[in-house]
Amino acid sequence: MTDETKPLAELLAETSINLDASASSRDDAIRQAGAGLLAVGAIDEAYIDAMIDRENSVSTFMGEGVAIPHGTLAAKDSVKSDALSLIRFPDGIDWDGNDVRLAFGIAAKGNGHIALLSQLATVLMDPDKAEALRAATTTEQVYALLESEDEDD
Amino acid sequence: MAEKKVTVASSVGLHARPASLFAQAAAKVGVPVQLTSAAGKSVNAASILGVLSLGIGHGEEVTLSAEGDGAEAALETLGELLNTDLDKE
Repeated sequence: MTDETKPLAELLAETSINLDASASSRDDAIRQAGAGLLAVGAIDEAYIDAMIDRENSVSTFMGEGVAIPHGTLAAKDSVKSDALSLIRFPDGIDWDGNDVRLAFGIAAKGNGHIALLSQLATVLMDPDKAEALRAATTTEQVYALLESEDEDD
Repeated sequence: MAEKKVTVASSVGLHARPASLFAQAAAKVGVPVQLTSAAGKSVNAASILGVLSLGIGHGEEVTLSAEGDGAEAALETLGELLNTDLDKE
């Protein structure tokens, strides 16, 4: 990994977090995750349609009740800066048959997404942290959990 | 223990789409397969989270390993997948 890798917590603006959301469908959930990225100017609007295209091509469900919607390679030009958004659905979303509680919207330029996904996956691989993240109701809890992965680096 | 070293061909590495396709394939081969990064970290190849956590980039050499009946065939199948550019749609 390069030194340019930004910690997850730095990529996730407080305004891009909604911990008490509901959505009528998977696509609605993806649009909310996209709106969180749009709100901080990380993407232009075309990226949100690309996020849905990507999802229709291959599910971004990762396990642990988490999906990571993001755009296609073709939509890289719609990314202005690396960023994350986090939408929590306390009642769950039917995500192509999987129960999704958390959607992390991802915008990444160049190859930044490899390191970003690696950091996120490392947090979620710890079942206790994944559960705490699914249950988080404050942004402080979210930041504490995302920062905790640096311990063993 | 069967082992196979493979170079990851996906043009942008094992990110979400290739990792997901790879993990799904690993879950179907019938034997538990381990994926080890060049840095020496091992994960269950059938876990999308595990595969993503390795942060494997394009051109990185990884090791697949498995034990038991069908291990060789499983590694052959998964090795071929990693040798393919999974980003080509």
